[in-house]
Amino acid sequence: MGFGKYLVVRLLNALVVLTIVTLVMSSLFVKVAEKDLENTIVQQVNAEFQSLQQQGKTPEDPDAWRAERIAYYRRQYHLDKPYWWRVQYYFKNTLTFNFGKTKNPVFGSEKDVLAILKMAIPRTIQLFTTAQIIIITLGILLGVKAAQMVGSLFDRALSVLALVMSSIPMWWFGMIMLLIFSFKFGWFPSRAIPDPNLTGWAHILDILKRMTLPVATIVIVSFGAWAWVIRNIMIGTMQEDFIMAARAKGVPERKVIYGHALRAAAPPVVTMVIMSLLASLGGAIITESVFTWPGMGRVYWIAIETNETNLIMGLTFVNVLLYLAGVIIADLAYGFLDPRVKVGASENM
Amino acid sequence: MRWVDFKESLSSFWSDFRRQKSGLLGLLLLFLFIFTAATAPMITSPDIPEKWQGFWLDNPKNVPPIWINAFSSQTMASHLIIEGENLQKLITKTDSGYLIEAEYNNEYDVPPQDIVIKDLSGKTTGGKPSITVIVKRPDGKEVTLIKNYKFSGSLVLQLGTHPQVRDNLLKWIKSEGIYIDPLQEFQYRTLMDAAKVIFGQLNENILDNPDSLKGTYKFTILVNVPEGSSVSFDNAKVIFTGRAYGWLGTDFKGRDLLAGIIWGSRVSLVIGISVAIVSVLIGIFYGVTSAYLGGWSDELMMRFQEFMASIPSLPILILMGAYFGGHIKLWQIVVLLAIFGWVGIARVARSMALQIKEQTYIEAARVLGASTGRIIFKHMVPQLLPYAFAQMALSVPSAVLAEASLSYLGLGDPTAVTWGQILHDAQAAGAAVNGYWWWVIPPGLAIALVGLTFVLIGTALDRVLNPRLRRL
Repeated sequence: MGFGKYLVVRLLNALVVLTIVTLVMSSLFVKVAEKDLENTIVQQVNAEFQSLQQQGKTPEDPDAWRAERIAYYRRQYHLDKPYWWRVQYYFKNTLTFNFGKTKNPVFGSEKDVLAILKMAIPRTIQLFTTAQIIIITLGILLGVKAAQMVGSLFDRALSVLALVMSSIPMWWFGMIMLLIFSFKFGWFPSRAIPDPNLTGWAHILDILKRMTLPVATIVIVSFGAWAWVIRNIMIGTMQEDFIMAARAKGVPERKVIYGHALRAAAPPVVTMVIMSLLASLGGAIITESVFTWPGMGRVYWIAIETNETNLIMGLTFVNVLLYLAGVIIADLAYGFLDPRVKVGASENM
Repeated sequence: MRWVDFKESLSSFWSDFRRQKSGLLGLLLLFLFIFTAATAPMITSPDIPEKWQGFWLDNPKNVPPIWINAFSSQTMASHLIIEGENLQKLITKTDSGYLIEAEYNNEYDVPPQDIVIKDLSGKTTGGKPSITVIVKRPDGKEVTLIKNYKFSGSLVLQLGTHPQVRDNLLKWIKSEGIYIDPLQEFQYRTLMDAAKVIFGQLNENILDNPDSLKGTYKFTILVNVPEGSSVSFDNAKVIFTGRAYGWLGTDFKGRDLLAGIIWGSRVSLVIGISVAIVSVLIGIFYGVTSAYLGGWSDELMMRFQEFMASIPSLPILILMGAYFGGHIKLWQIVVLLAIFGWVGIARVARSMALQIKEQTYIEAARVLGASTGRIIFKHMVPQLLPYAFAQMALSVPSAVLAEASLSYLGLGDPTAVTWGQILHDAQAAGAAVNGYWWWVIPPGLAIALVGLTFVLIGTALDRVLNPRLRRL
């Protein structure tokens, strides 16, 4: 099977997943939104009634007027349509990024869900790419080092660190970092929103200072596990025959490790890079809210605390989309780097 | 399998496992956790879950644990409640009512926050009963804090913030010849921390920055009961609200955090273990069935597995939380986490089962006419049990973390006491930026410790049961 066909199959697979997940999400969402909309309608009708009263134009039969207005708004919000019609309506809206508006403004005065997401995503990426680049560099360096001296003190210390860190909630560690470096020593600001009065270099320095704690949190919690996995992959590769052959040829050890072994270990490492990028997005969503970093995580926190159903739906969809995109890229990278992998080849593995 | 064989394999397993030091440490921690969880109602009190959501009015808010006094230069007053028999001993009956004489030994650099006289209940038909509080300080001065304060029904008297107490204290300070800036007098009248003044050294700093006067204070509480009325002291309490409380301090509702941590261990263990067992069992059966059936069913089952694997779990769980009205019940969390938990295990179980499937004894069983179910349950799944046990232990930490994360986001079960929920409250109250370390550190440490316990057990099991891994 050629690479082109492989690509098409992976893409189709992802599209099917996206469609089904969105459909399930929409059918759940319609239920949640219904209660929400009914409350909104009652509030709107009450507000209208009061303003009419103030103008001295109180309707003659308030109950009939109320029922008529409520019916009008129910039509407006499509609440009179059957359940499945609404599900497909939301399904189409979601697929076309038409998420609607929030009840209360988020990030200043913004009420449009799509605009809020457009503001939040770059901020999240800014935090994560920085953290992940540091994690990957540290992970590969330390992992390779540990694989070179299996059983040494350094190797064992790394394993213990990976073990301990994997059971710590990242967001809790962030709270501890805040407690120590922001409250106790006062070295870093506790809020992530940059000072609007600064410009130029001072502004960039300000942002860097505010990024330090969140980035440090993510790096410290994740790099151990990373280094440990790289170590295991490298140990596997170092036992292969071609490494022995390279050594026997007299290739210098540095070149054996970085030129031969690391290159052979590349496919799983690349997949891991992408998959861990995606996985960290979940854990880091919560970490963000600890530092009030105004990205996706913060928006999630706000959406849940203030019960913004439209926002939760939009966030979930974008997250699923990002995740699936990542999965495809990981698959493609693997297929590109390791020609042994083909669709269906897993049957014989 | 015969009982003798089972006993033998168990004892040989144990002799292997005994050599894993980290596994034994994990086992010890596990026993400690199970002990704590099981005895929670005995160690604390059985009504904690019902009380948990409300305010604990008798306790001080946001105060650190008592043992902090050992490390800081200033000792802080601990919490003291005089109630029940201890209080009844202090009550004497007089002609016009009752007299309570309470002694308080202030040996702290930071005196109590408040003095609260609580839950005296008066029944009135004629005149209302009234209360007078006089304090005799160690320096010999006597101050009337509140005089003839009338009450009916249940009385809650907070001396530290009561306006009449502030007035009386200001009058007393003036009569002792200390100058009070008239411009600031109004401010003192409304904002003064009266408890600090009551327990303060009498000098010109007494209003702004009083030093604690150590020694024994005698509080005389006179309750005047007119004809036809009565006062009951059955539930009465005199509380010297502390600046430190218990082993782990309190949070913004005055809740004892130690009780929260102890009760939280129940939820954490139950959810972690049940999610791990359910999802590993589903994964194993799914993988083995898929491998044994082969062909189209295998293809279909693996497509479904791939589909499940490419759904990000946390966002979907959050959406589910919103769907269940913002709060997911504990059993719902177990189901949801199990739905996303079996996926990875199914894949590995399938590839292991593919090897087992080719063994001759499976072929023999098939020739003998064994049904598909019998072959899968009786001959194939038992072969995977060692792997399953190790995986169960290793899946617990992520389940515990997931539950804590959901609770932290405020989507947890509101009727249960969980560690994630304590941290959610801490985050909502800004505990980290306000320096309430006793509120932030213990729940997270507990989560990490449960995780570590099962990682230790899991890796040890893995090494014992899957000998191929031993060399690494």
